[in-house]
Amino acid sequence: MLQPKTMTRLLIVGSKEQMSSAVTELYRHYVFHITDYTNQGKEGYEGFRIGQPMEGATEISTDLIKIRSIENTFGLSPDDYYDISKRSAHSIREIIERDLPKIETEVADLTAQRSAAEARIRVNEQRIAELTPFSAIPLELGLYQGYETISVIAGSTTRDIEMPVPVEKLYASGKGGGTMVIFFKNDDRAIVEQTLSDAQFQLIPVPQEEGSVRQRIDQYQSEISSLNASIADINVKIGSIKEKSGDFLAACDEVLSADIEQAEAPLRFATTDLIFIADGWVPVTEVENLKSGLSQATGGRILVMEADELDDDHHHNLPPVEYNNPGFAKPTQSIVDIYSRPRYDELDPTLMIAIIFPLFFGIILGDIGYGAILLVLALGLKRMLKGEAIQHLLNVLRNASISAIIFGVIYAEIFGAHPGALDITLWHPLISRHLLIGSHAHHQGDIAVLLVFAVWLGILQMTLGRSMSVVNHARHRNMVHVMGQLGWIAVMWGILAVIWSIAAIPLMPDLTMLPPIVMGLNIAGIIGAVLTVAGVIAIMRESPLELIEIPSVVSHSLSYTRLAAVGLSSVAIAMVVNFIAIEMLIEPNLKELTALGVVLIIVGIVVLLVGHLLNTALGLLGGGLQSLRLQYVEFFTKFYKGGGEKYNPFGKKRQLSED
Amino acid sequence: MVDLGVATLTLEMVAENQMGMKAIGAALAVGLTGIGAGLAEMSIGSAAVGATAENKDIFGMALLLTVIPETIVIFGLVVSLLILF
Repeated sequence: MLQPKTMTRLLIVGSKEQMSSAVTELYRHYVFHITDYTNQGKEGYEGFRIGQPMEGATEISTDLIKIRSIENTFGLSPDDYYDISKRSAHSIREIIERDLPKIETEVADLTAQRSAAEARIRVNEQRIAELTPFSAIPLELGLYQGYETISVIAGSTTRDIEMPVPVEKLYASGKGGGTMVIFFKNDDRAIVEQTLSDAQFQLIPVPQEEGSVRQRIDQYQSEISSLNASIADINVKIGSIKEKSGDFLAACDEVLSADIEQAEAPLRFATTDLIFIADGWVPVTEVENLKSGLSQATGGRILVMEADELDDDHHHNLPPVEYNNPGFAKPTQSIVDIYSRPRYDELDPTLMIAIIFPLFFGIILGDIGYGAILLVLALGLKRMLKGEAIQHLLNVLRNASISAIIFGVIYAEIFGAHPGALDITLWHPLISRHLLIGSHAHHQGDIAVLLVFAVWLGILQMTLGRSMSVVNHARHRNMVHVMGQLGWIAVMWGILAVIWSIAAIPLMPDLTMLPPIVMGLNIAGIIGAVLTVAGVIAIMRESPLELIEIPSVVSHSLSYTRLAAVGLSSVAIAMVVNFIAIEMLIEPNLKELTALGVVLIIVGIVVLLVGHLLNTALGLLGGGLQSLRLQYVEFFTKFYKGGGEKYNPFGKKRQLSED
Repeated sequence: MVDLGVATLTLEMVAENQMGMKAIGAALAVGLTGIGAGLAEMSIGSAAVGATAENKDIFGMALLLTVIPETIVIFGLVVSLLILF
């Protein structure tokens, strides 16, 4: 909680004979985060090289490429097969030896046939395109060629062109320009060509074929349809192979991916001629387990050392970060990850976001109706969509919509509530966001109270953020920064105290009654002023440049008023939709039903549905983005740096195979 | 001679007039700040999208920078709410 999992740095040293079994064992445990060896040639690392892949890596990767290409042909991804029974890895390797070449040739044959057929289709389509212009000319194709003293020119033109010399010409008009064929004496060629080029005549090659144009086109078309049929046939065959061996291929993929990852692991180790050193991080809780596993796998001939994590260059070599949060906060990790993963040496804000984000979302949306819609949406999508990231986001949405329903009860709102015609009086709201829209409006909104409430939340959250920053800096014994951060808190509360001593504000302590002491300030005002000045001095000692940031104390607090303002605008939209649909369109027409009235009622219902649908979408966007932004901009900037390395242990959870 | 009519203002008319002025003020508060925020976010947003395309990891930072000027329009909204109610 508030802290990533504690990691221990392990150095695993062994002779090269033990490397393969050690790697297999590390892969099986799936807890060792390898730090890649990149110090080759640097001082203090003389004699160490990056390791070579293990034997067989090339063959495995060739096989894997084959499998991936077959998978590509099938359009299958190993993720599609998550709930089938596991096969033993050993038997899979045997089957790969035996069956893979067969499947590969089969698939390769079929794909070759398919591409050949596709090529034939393209050729035929090309021929048809060449023949089509001649289909309107009443000549057999054989008549276009085989003359000694006569030449033929064909082309497209928009009109029948007159020739100055005796020729035999045929013109057929058609859509988008006609076709013209000209037979002329070889001696007249120059004149004919000249005339044609003046008349914007575009040459078309004369097809070298026999028979009637229509027949040839029909023949090609029937060829195309038979080719299409054979392609469909091939696709069915490929489909049946996919059906038969898809799960096998997916399992192969998994086994071989695991093999290749293990075979290439030495590329991340430091090695000499005789030994290898694997450097990496393991969660403290897993250390003993991994140690005993390794010594068993290698018969005790391996050295596992726990390195002191605070060595000289610990700033460049921080441990990887794995979240350590209670179950309900886990979905929120994805929200923090979008910003940046926490560094190992700072507080992890996930738990706070897990509480505050849904709270803020609820305050903004705060409507039983919209909340229920979003809840149903989240639960429905959770069933339909798979994938860890999307499940996490949907869980966040679920929590947020539950919070929206709760605040809907507090605000007494269902779809903007008090819909005019129905005149529903809900219970009295604890805080009212109802506006005086429509003749049936009941409550005046407590706008000022809402705004101040939002500012209060901001003040509390920013104080929390600064306090976390104090903790972060205190860990590094960085007292100037600790004082600076305390200074920020002092400035904020000091300004507040001064304001309280001058003006009475709802929901805030009223200190205006205290007797004035100096310069019109009473005791609270003086304490506030002292706090502010002390805070400014502390901030200045941290960094004088920070002084220009001081107005942000006010602007960030006021920024939280969006919690009330964005919510109110969504209430206003909902009430206007209700007003237009019910009070203007439906209600008046229900009294006397006429033909036009029925139409208007239907229009009213459409307006009601579309309006609320739109407002739900807006509420989701507004509520989600605005409360996210408050976390990212107003909260995180106070203490959070991020940029930690993700804990990415060596290994993989096997879904389809087992040893 | 043209008889100049004498305009008389009743109390209701004054009240209505004030209400209309308030509404115009509120509209200006939201509308102008909206334009301002839009202008500011325009260039930040396009730069942020470009930067994110280069390096996906800075999405959080890009989003943060993009939404900073949006506070302006929230202030406008708050002011207009305070004017109206």
